[in-house]
Formats: sequence, structure tokens, C-alpha cells
Amino acid sequence: MKDRLTAAVKQSRADYTEIRVERTWSSAVAFRGRRLETATVSEDQGGFVRVLNKGCGWGIASFTSLDELPAMVRRANELSRAVRLDEPIRLADTEPHVADAALDLDGDVRGVSLADKKKLLETYNGAMLAVSSSIVDTQASYRDEVSEVWYANSEGTAIAQLRPEVVVSGTAIGRRNGSIEKGLESIGLRKGWHSVQGFENQFRVVAQRAVDLLDAPRVRGGSYPVILDNELAGVFIHEAFGHLSEADFVYENPQAREMMTLGRRFGKPVLNAGDNGAEHGLRGTLPYDDEGTPTQDTPLIREGILVGRLHSRETAAKLGERPTGNARAISFRHPPIVRMTNTYIAPGKAGVGFPDLIRDIKLGVYACGAFGGQTMLENFSFTAGWGYMIRDGRVAELVKDVVLAGNLFQTLDRIDTIAGDFTWNQMGGGCGKGGQFPLPVTEGAPHVRIEEALIGGDV
Amino acid sequence: MIDRVLEAAKRAVDNADALWRREEQTSVAFESGRLKAAGISEEAGLNLRVVSNGRMGVVGTTSATPDPEALLARARASAELGEMVELAFPDSSPESLPPIPTYFDRTANASLDDLIRMGKRLVERLERPDCQVNVSVEREIADTAVGNSAGARGEYRATGIAVTADMTRIAGDDVLMIYDQYVGADMPTEADLETLVRSMETRLTAALTVVGSPEGALPVVFTPAGLAAVVLPLEQALSGKTVLQGSSPLAGKVGETMFDERLSIIDDPLTPGRPASRPIDDECVPSRSTGLVERGRVGHFVYDLETAARAKTQSTGNGRRGFFGKPHIGYTNILFRMTGGGHVGVRAQHAAALQEQGLGGGLIADIDDGLIVDDLIGVGQGNVISGAFSHPVGLAWRVQRGEVTGRVKDAAVAGNAYDLLKKIGGFGTDGRWLGARWSPSMLLEGVSVARR
Repeated sequence: MKDRLTAAVKQSRADYTEIRVERTWSSAVAFRGRRLETATVSEDQGGFVRVLNKGCGWGIASFTSLDELPAMVRRANELSRAVRLDEPIRLADTEPHVADAALDLDGDVRGVSLADKKKLLETYNGAMLAVSSSIVDTQASYRDEVSEVWYANSEGTAIAQLRPEVVVSGTAIGRRNGSIEKGLESIGLRKGWHSVQGFENQFRVVAQRAVDLLDAPRVRGGSYPVILDNELAGVFIHEAFGHLSEADFVYENPQAREMMTLGRRFGKPVLNAGDNGAEHGLRGTLPYDDEGTPTQDTPLIREGILVGRLHSRETAAKLGERPTGNARAISFRHPPIVRMTNTYIAPGKAGVGFPDLIRDIKLGVYACGAFGGQTMLENFSFTAGWGYMIRDGRVAELVKDVVLAGNLFQTLDRIDTIAGDFTWNQMGGGCGKGGQFPLPVTEGAPHVRIEEALIGGDV
Repeated sequence: MIDRVLEAAKRAVDNADALWRREEQTSVAFESGRLKAAGISEEAGLNLRVVSNGRMGVVGTTSATPDPEALLARARASAELGEMVELAFPDSSPESLPPIPTYFDRTANASLDDLIRMGKRLVERLERPDCQVNVSVEREIADTAVGNSAGARGEYRATGIAVTADMTRIAGDDVLMIYDQYVGADMPTEADLETLVRSMETRLTAALTVVGSPEGALPVVFTPAGLAAVVLPLEQALSGKTVLQGSSPLAGKVGETMFDERLSIIDDPLTPGRPASRPIDDECVPSRSTGLVERGRVGHFVYDLETAARAKTQSTGNGRRGFFGKPHIGYTNILFRMTGGGHVGVRAQHAAALQEQGLGGGLIADIDDGLIVDDLIGVGQGNVISGAFSHPVGLAWRVQRGEVTGRVKDAAVAGNAYDLLKKIGGFGTDGRWLGARWSPSMLLEGVSVARR
């Protein structure tokens, strides 16, 4: 396949040509309540061509019929030539790479029967349903894939990658009288069958929490000192800061560039953050991005100061910086755009733990788990799975509907203590941007304390 | 293609149905006012469902030349693990389908240059020195064929066009984003584009001044876009699937008045000119409209074939399927209708003509202190099914003494859709399409507003 791509690239008459072909084998099993929804195997395949000519813009073609590859290269070239540009698009230089990069399959999912996958999920689903008669509904899903990705460009790069992925997730719905609550567990890794075994207890715990939340009061809206647990702190750095560090937000916008000037202070000296697509086995891990650039650990905030951002080759060239391996596409149906991989808040001092963070809080909120988050650049929202009030330095009652609303600049600056208990999230969710959802990403963080943050809700 | 697969299926399984679709998209993208990219996308695929020994299985492929026998083997393997189900496959003939125009020559025939010109004109009209403007134009032509082993067949060709625009204004650390779209099956008229431009400008201009947020239980006007957080719980609760699972708060409430008696909500696949309109659903059920909420009373839930079979009722023609996975319930066009008089507030009635293009759809005249909410951040991420929502505002304005006084930033709104929709303060005169949903602005009372 690599040779077929290289040959098609050679035949292209455009100044720059890149081709990506994907073949994805996947299987999926889903339960709703006690009923099996589906158990199915799918094969999806297709290609993507992107070309550039001097004085012209991008010409793009995506297609499912691979026999059309040479014709699609010609179509993309015509499209590029229809886009006249005064200021040329430049791509930052990268070394050409020729590589076969197969990630560890950790128990190749293609060799496991659909019946065994069903059995595994049935166990997890059953664990949720068995918790209480108040669990009226569940949604449990197992999905795996092995994606073969071939990439070649006219600068000599030719890469074959093998990318596994496995996600098991469950939602337990608790209902009593008019009250409905949910608990959510999700495990997602760029690994295989071995890595999703033995999670019964986690699924039991989330179902129990859905039941407990039925009796919990809603959190009262207002400003509080807030402690984020590891999972939510990770989602926070992704939502609140990560998206702003994506260089396609600033590269064409002088005002945005000013706002995100390298060297600007974003937080107190305790704050260190970055994005690492090269970390082993995580959901956002990739050897090479979808422009053939190797991934890396990119520091974004060092001791509170903005020191870096995430790039594609185009944004890096425009800003005179180096590509960071963050140009990603969710599939052959889409062009690569600047995305995060595994985004993190680095651990604080070793030995600083959760008790140290809450000791001097009279009234505060301990926000745990993440249902999700969304950012509108300056402002963001994230929804905790559940929370506890903190009273007089101790964890007190369970509360529900904990949604943090925030302004990026104020909130980052109000992070005053970071624990040493760093963990990577292993959630199976994904990130959405520019119509591309869900892109596999993850986050990592220790417990983090925000001096003051706004919690939505009744006031 | 579909005939070959169904023919092979007849010999191998009890029953089967299939969808084949071919889509061709052309798109142009303007970034920061400049045309940056033009692209095409061609995709074809097939989704097959079988009932084999009473059990259901599904399989999908995007292969250009799928081997029917290999597909059926995979479908049977899926069915071996599948649940027992008795699907009532319809036998609708092509002649029995409702006539609904889905294909518009002007859209299909628009050239790349036409799309570029339209985008460029829009960019020029939106450009301001303090803003970055992005515009994209996407045109789609899709051929769909559905069929089943009971002999039903349906085929249609559809066009769609989406013109989206966003403007970003950054001043210091203040980031303002305004977004709007035209989505239709037919090309936008000059007036449609003018409406888009005016909508963007009106909202931007009113947002240039930033004011503090009020606090407390307040009247809030939700614009058609802002309503998303309030509508989402209803969409989930009115799905036959949620009802069947026992997690819908509306289960068992059919015929009961749960909402303001002037509120009706309809699912309508037969609205002309909408991309979600279609003569037949993805499971061969002829299209018809469904009254979800009728004058405040819970009407019908929406069903696909499988959910209908399990609930011992009939499909409402809301079956939807992609290339992969099994068919599921999907809404078509959702229309919010106000019935029982045009009351929109005494003073507002007179002001309606004047304010037609203003913010709030003529609903703000009686508001002493409150908000207009156009966008909330994080919609869909909370405990949606319960009706509760709590979100920071993405775009909202303060209303004081009947006037918009500026944009509110650091505020969060919260409430419960079921409580808020029991008594609607007013329906705006600004009804519009937003994607597949038509609604006016709605004034809701007693919405919790928290500020930092």
C-alpha cells in the first residue's frame, strides 16, 4: 500500500501532495438495560488527498473508493488551482520520515470472538444492574478497532502505522419517584483486549453513585474554593487552556496572538502544563500525526508562564515556530487540523496530597469525575460527575449538578496548590472541533485547588 | 446494489432490510476572510440488517464492491449473538410514498465558482476591522435507496446546502464569538443571506458593550439557538426508546398536560425545502408527521421498527441509519408551534414590527431586569434526561427596563426544562430554522441566574 501511495504522489502535478489511506477493522457490542442492542463487526476504508500549489490554496478530496486514487489526486489539484491566494500557504520544514510504526496491540482484538466481547460487556453491565432496584436503565458499550494508516507526501515521507483502540463504557441510570441521576464509567486506551479486563468493581461503584445521588441535594450556586479531582483537573486543563494553545486559533489573528504571547504569565509558579502525544499507550498517543510529523512532549506552561503551543506544519510556518506533531484528523473523511493528544497538568511537590489541599477550607466544593466540558475560548464550562461539600477542612455531604463556569485567565491564575498525586485519565470520550468528533484524546493531572471558582445552580 | 443484496438475503435469512447511500459533497472554506481551501468528498456504503432464526444482526460496509455472500455471512454471525425480535417490515411501494421535493436543481447544479462567489460576498458583507471572519459553504447531493425482503422499495435524491459564518472579536482578553448558519435543500436567496448578515450584525453590535450580570430568579428570553438546553431533555424524553427503557419522565403521561397549553411540538419529515425531509424513512416506513406535544399535552413518542416492536406499537417513520451500526430513532424536522392566540405581551405586541430584526423577538418590552440567552456552554453534558440544566453563558445580553443594555459574560443560568415550560411568558415573532429545528424565541420566567 505504501508503494501505491508513493507512486500516486509521484504522478501528482501539484507542488505539494499528501495522501492518507486508512483501513479500519472494528467491532462493537452494546447493551441497553438487560437487552443486547448490537454485536457487529465493521470494516471502513477510504482515502484522503490534499495538495498545494504556489499562489493557490488547499485542494482536498476524500473518498471511499480506493480505485479512484489517481483521479482524486487530479481532482484535488484542480480544486487547489481554483483557490487563488495573494499570501501563499507555507509549510514548516520537517525531516522526511520513512517508517513502519506498529503500536503494541496488547491482545489483538481481531483475534477475540464477538461472543467473548459480548460476555465481557455483559459482566460489566450486569454489575451495574445488580447494584439496586433503583437502577432502571443502563447503557453499556464495548468498541474496539485496529486501524491501518498509510501516509505519503511529496517530500519523501512514507509511513505505515497500526493504531489499536479499545473503549468500554457504561452509564447507570438511577430513578426514584421523579428524580433521575446517572453514573458514568469509561475506560479508553490505545491498547487491546488485555487492557479492559477486571473492571467489574468500577462499574459497580458508578451505579451505586447514581443511586446515592438520588438523595443528594443540588449544589448551591455561587463562588467557592474548589478542589478538582485528578479526572476533572485533566478535563479542566484540556478545556480551559488546551484549546487556546492550539495555534490555528492564533495564527491568522493578530489580536489573538497578542493575547497568547509567549512569555505571558498565565498562572502562579506552581502551574506546569503540556501536551504529550508520545506517552505510551494512552488514548491520544500516536507515533506520527496525520501530516507525518513525529509526536512529542510539548511544554505549554512552565512555572506559570506561557512557553509553547500546538502546531500543524502550516501554523508553525506562519508563526516561525516548529511543528509539534499535533495535526490530526478523525478519519480519512477529514483534513488534519491542530488538535491535542494527551494534555496534562504536571504534578506539584511530591508528598503534597488531597488532605493538604482542603485543610484550611471553611466552605468549599470537591468536584469529582467529568461528564464533559466545553470551551468558548475565554470562557469554559465543565460538568463534574458528582461532588462533595468541604466544611471546616473536611469532606462533607455528597452534592449533585456540579457545573463549573469559568473565565480562563481568572481561573488559571487562581490555581494556588497542586498535589503530587498525578494520574493519567483513562476515559473513552473524545474531543470535538471543526466538525470532527470524537477524536481520541486524554488528559492527566493531580488534585488541584482553585482559590475561587463559580459553581452554577440555584442561588 | 440493494436488490442484489436483498435477493441473496432471501435465500439465506428469514428477513432483511437495507439502506444504500451515495453522498457527494463540495465545500469551500474562507479563513480570516481569505479563501483557503476547496474540497470534495465522495462516499458510498451499505447497511444491512437481517433477522436470522428470529434473531437480529447488522453489518455495514463502505467497500465499493461488497460481496453479498460475505456481507450476509457477517450479518448472520452478528445475528447469532443478537436478541429475538419480530420486526414488522413494511411493504410500501414507491407509488404509495408522499410526494415531497427533496432535490433542487439549483443546488445540484451550483458550480465550484458559484459556491466561492457566494462565500466571498458573505465575507465582504461581514468584514469589520476588529473581527476575524470565517465562512464555509458546503453543498451535498445524496442518493438513497432503501428496501426490504417484504418487497418495499424507496429511492430518492436529495440536495442540501449549508452556509455557516462565524466572527471572532478579541479585545485584550475579551473574546467574542458570533455564529450563524443557513441550512436548506434549496440555495439561499439574496434575502436569506441578508437575514444571516443582519442576524450576525445585530448580535455583534449589541455585544460590544460588556455589562455586569443580574442575579436571582429572573425572566430570561431564550433565542431559537439558546433554546437548545431547554429542548434537549424533551427530545430525549419523547423518544420511544427512552420511554421503553423506563427512563423518560414523560413515560405514562400521554394525554396529560405537562406544558404550557399554547405549546405544540411536531416532528415533520414533510416540510418542503428542508434537508431532513424525506418521503420514506431509513427502514422503508413512509413519512408522516407526528404530534409530540399537542397544546401542552404529551402526544406521541417517536419510534423506529425495533423499538415499536418491543413497545407493541407502530413505527412513526423515525428510523435512521448510517453505514455502520443498527438503525435507531432519529427526529426529522422539529417544529415548535404556538397555538391558541398570538399573545406575546401587551407592549411587545405594538413593538413587534419595530423589533422584528432586534434581539429577543419582541419579548423584552416588559422585562425590568433579565437576560436574553443565545448560547450556553456545555449543553448536553449534564443530567439531561432529568430536565435540569446549568450552564455558563456563551453569548447573552442583559435586558433592563425593556432595553438591551449590553453583553453579559460571567454568568451561569440554571433551571429545569419541565418546570420552566409549564408556563411560557411569551413566544417571539422571530421564528426561524436552526438546523432541523424551527422555533421562535421563548420568554421563560424564574430562571436561576448566578454571577461571579
